[in-house]
Amino acid sequence: MADVAAPSSMSLSGDRRSSLHKLMQRKSTIAFLMALPLILLIFVLVAYPAGYAIYLSTLNKSMTKFVGFGNFEFLFKRATFWDIVFQSCLFAITAVIFKALIGFMVAHFVHNIPSKGQRKWRGMLLVPWVIPPAMSTLAWLWLFDPSYSAFNWIFHQFGLGSISWLGETNWARFSVILVNIWAGAPFFMIMYLAALKSVPEQLYEAASIDGATWWQRIWYVTLPMMRNIIAITALFSTIVTFANFDIVRVLTAGGPLTSTHLFATWAFKIGIESGDIPLGATVSLFMVPILAVGAAFILRDISKRGSES
Amino acid sequence: MANVAIAAEAPVRPKHYGSISRDRRWALRWSYFFLVLFAVFFLMPPLYMLLTSLKTSQEISAAANPWWVSNPTLENYAALLTKNDFLVFFRNSALVSICVVTVTMLISVTAAFALARMKFWGSATLATGVFLTYLIPDTLLFIPLFKMFAWVRDATGIELMNHWWTMIILYPTLSVPFATWIMIGYFASIPKELDEAALIDGASWFQTLTKIFIPVAMPGIIAAMIFSFTVSWAQFLYPLAFTTSASELLLPVGIVTTLIKGDVFNWGQIMTGALLGAAPPLIIYAFLMDYYVAGLTAGATKG
Amino acid sequence: MGSRKVSRRRFVASTTALSAVAIAAPFVRGAYAAGKLSVGFWDHWVPNANGATEKLIKEWGEKEKVDVQIDFITSQGNKLLLTTAAEAQAKSGHDILAQNTFLPARNAELLVPMNDVMDQLIKDNGKVNATVEYLGKVGGKWLGVPATVGSQIKGPCSRIDLLKKHAGIDIQAMYPAGAEPKADAWTLDAFLKAAEACHKGGNPFGIGLGTTSDNVDTIGAIFHAFGAVMVDAKGDIVIKNDQVRQALDFYKKLMAFLPADVAAWDDASNNKFLVSGQASMIMNPPSAWAVAKRDAPQVAEQCWTHGFPSGPKGRYAPFLPFFWCTWNFSKNQSAAKSLMLYLSQASSAEKMVVASGGYDLPSFEKLTTFKVWAEEGPPKGTLYHYPNPYNHQTLSVAAAPAPHKIAEQIYNQGIQTQMAVRYFKGEPLEKTLDWASGELEGFMRN
Repeated sequence: MADVAAPSSMSLSGDRRSSLHKLMQRKSTIAFLMALPLILLIFVLVAYPAGYAIYLSTLNKSMTKFVGFGNFEFLFKRATFWDIVFQSCLFAITAVIFKALIGFMVAHFVHNIPSKGQRKWRGMLLVPWVIPPAMSTLAWLWLFDPSYSAFNWIFHQFGLGSISWLGETNWARFSVILVNIWAGAPFFMIMYLAALKSVPEQLYEAASIDGATWWQRIWYVTLPMMRNIIAITALFSTIVTFANFDIVRVLTAGGPLTSTHLFATWAFKIGIESGDIPLGATVSLFMVPILAVGAAFILRDISKRGSES
Repeated sequence: MANVAIAAEAPVRPKHYGSISRDRRWALRWSYFFLVLFAVFFLMPPLYMLLTSLKTSQEISAAANPWWVSNPTLENYAALLTKNDFLVFFRNSALVSICVVTVTMLISVTAAFALARMKFWGSATLATGVFLTYLIPDTLLFIPLFKMFAWVRDATGIELMNHWWTMIILYPTLSVPFATWIMIGYFASIPKELDEAALIDGASWFQTLTKIFIPVAMPGIIAAMIFSFTVSWAQFLYPLAFTTSASELLLPVGIVTTLIKGDVFNWGQIMTGALLGAAPPLIIYAFLMDYYVAGLTAGATKG
Repeated sequence: MGSRKVSRRRFVASTTALSAVAIAAPFVRGAYAAGKLSVGFWDHWVPNANGATEKLIKEWGEKEKVDVQIDFITSQGNKLLLTTAAEAQAKSGHDILAQNTFLPARNAELLVPMNDVMDQLIKDNGKVNATVEYLGKVGGKWLGVPATVGSQIKGPCSRIDLLKKHAGIDIQAMYPAGAEPKADAWTLDAFLKAAEACHKGGNPFGIGLGTTSDNVDTIGAIFHAFGAVMVDAKGDIVIKNDQVRQALDFYKKLMAFLPADVAAWDDASNNKFLVSGQASMIMNPPSAWAVAKRDAPQVAEQCWTHGFPSGPKGRYAPFLPFFWCTWNFSKNQSAAKSLMLYLSQASSAEKMVVASGGYDLPSFEKLTTFKVWAEEGPPKGTLYHYPNPYNHQTLSVAAAPAPHKIAEQIYNQGIQTQMAVRYFKGEPLEKTLDWASGELEGFMRN
């Protein structure tokens, strides 16, 4: 070991380096070692348990017998399952579209005002994203409460009737989506604001000289410049929204009937509450192929980043 | 709500925008108008949390104007801040967050450097694969993790269930992928000549990273740190599933599980706890937001 | 095994001496090695109730030289349920864990039999009701000891003034404090009429139809009152029968008089509805009343807890028992048993009941007549009929007598409340039954 250690201090001059040392000095080996903690983390705590979950999904309810795709076949035949698929898609797509729209609008408005005031506004508008969702959803639950709703109180002041925010299917879906938008839009805002700042001012000036209207400037200058970030943020958010658990759990627990259940909450209901762990795992797994479609897009985007760098 | 509106109106008064066209001024007015609107939407729940936290439970139960506090009291705050449990939750959360941020940065900065600058067999796949970990939801993982914890105990005698520090092991799965992604983007934006020059001067890869890349990438690192902190402060499902004893709970779970008993919600204290729980990230954002935006700008928009 | 036998004999010998130490000692012998015990109990909402339990456990721990670590775990958001699932999967956890309703049966294979403890307790405290036996004893094996803490009857809690004003019912005359109920006229028909009158008067009954336990318990009792069985004890689906149809018809009529959003109610909604002064009746153990006592005394003064209305097949009330269970991977099983015995003695049980303001309800026959229920107020005697002192209603659990694995899913997914909501919203009755029988078929998986 001693003669290995000695030349290492003048690594570029010695010819008699041991093969181990050579290996250690090779760029790709060092790189691999540097990435090793990341690889271990992902394999041990994500990939392996995910594989185990796949294994669970092939067992019968009492986890004693291998049933192959039996659980999947079983789910395909259940009307409730297809309701959940629909609801999850409705929830994720609507929420992400509105989060993106609101995020874009707000980012645009913040970008419009003099930079002195921007900091303050940005700070205020980021608040929903900063509060832990488990906490802020409780505030919403309290705002929606059937007996004490602060929203309904306002409506009563204007002589309007009460809305049962969480009691009626469509209102319940609206409320759940609304809270998700509320909590997620600021993230879009901050990402878009970052992107807006990186659009060179000259492009706008050039567009103005060409007589572009406000709308044309957004359409032909801003949006193309932000294309990448919009795509990545939207896809990242779709993944997270699709797998959402806290909001529905706290607000409606899936009700009324099962009309606001998402994959995650329904899987919890089946797996933990009703004691059918393999079926619960099967439901959860369903998110993965649907999201994989989104992942394909991310893959493309990221590999593009990689090749340009 | 009223004072939000007033505060928002103040900057509208024209200052030195004589040169700005009418067009521009109208755009500005509309911007403020919508900003106020959105601020009301965004800030209403926290405001309501604040109002509720100042009420007595009698006032909450009385069906009076919910948007007004007639007998403001700090008893909810006093009750929570003198309760040992709550301080323990706070300490646990703080320790977990600090450790998770440290671990996340150690893993993601080195890995991002390797992936963005050094390339090895499979590095491109890994760079994309990292992001894919988000495709696997934590609701799918916690049951297998129970089983793995059982094996770890049988093999080593280390009990992972019902300990707050278990979260230091689990949370990085949620924070590292995004942090790595930000860092890859940031490192990619640093000119190639910089590290080439360093290497020619005889610096090792490690020195290149610590002496050149990390200082240059500081805004990106701060952004990634803030992100990791937010994630670990807010996580709910893992601590809910893996910890039970009052001495081992983290703040969000602690508030939800100790202040709601059976079918009785103690709204005043819940809202107080929620507000206090939201305070650390709020403070961090207030001070470091500029870095956050700057870091994201550089890290996220490249490519 | 030899030592176990000895301890058994000692039991018999010491039955007259009810001192805790005498009973507890045989179990604890040999447990000194570990000297540690961790217990996870249901987190009581009554401020001092946890304290009373803690004190009893500490007393026991000092006597037996066992170091006890106590966790109080809330049932809200299914935290307790999740903890149970986690411990069952990770094979590690509390030496005693409170598990409610169907959980002991779900974990039957992982639980230590409690037959020795239960034999002794039944001898001392009288027999347990049939619901506790159905839930806690599977294949002749007691899976846990019915816990005092948290066990409850979810009977009606009515507003004396509002029932009188809107429906002309004097509930205190029907259920007089300190005397037998005179409730022959208190039938489901009378109940429905009262619901209509109170709805017209602007103070509807607050009966939830979500999928949480309060709601499921209520509809379960009413199904029993109609004799409506969905899955029989053999595990056959028999849902398409006239009793089920009658029960659903009844609920359809009843729902017209309930608040519009009851389909989304959880366990806390009815409490808030009562405390806010809007409800004339809710179905809840006395927690709602007790919160009203603190926050809205004028409401609490008018509350009266009483029995369920009777239906064609009898008078049923929902009983939600907690069991203290010990995992078979627990390292200190004998100490756990000893503690359970100590906590289940009449004197300990009474202390817990008193501390909970009469909320906790022991499952043993001789423990349902403590003074506290007669004395709690205002109004005095409001809880007199809460523990069902004259046995005039049969205690039940929704989905019984189906096999546990099926019943549990019916219960936890709220199939009965979902049926009621579907039918009420205009779905044809037969279609609702088809839907439900499809769900039930899905529960037959094993």
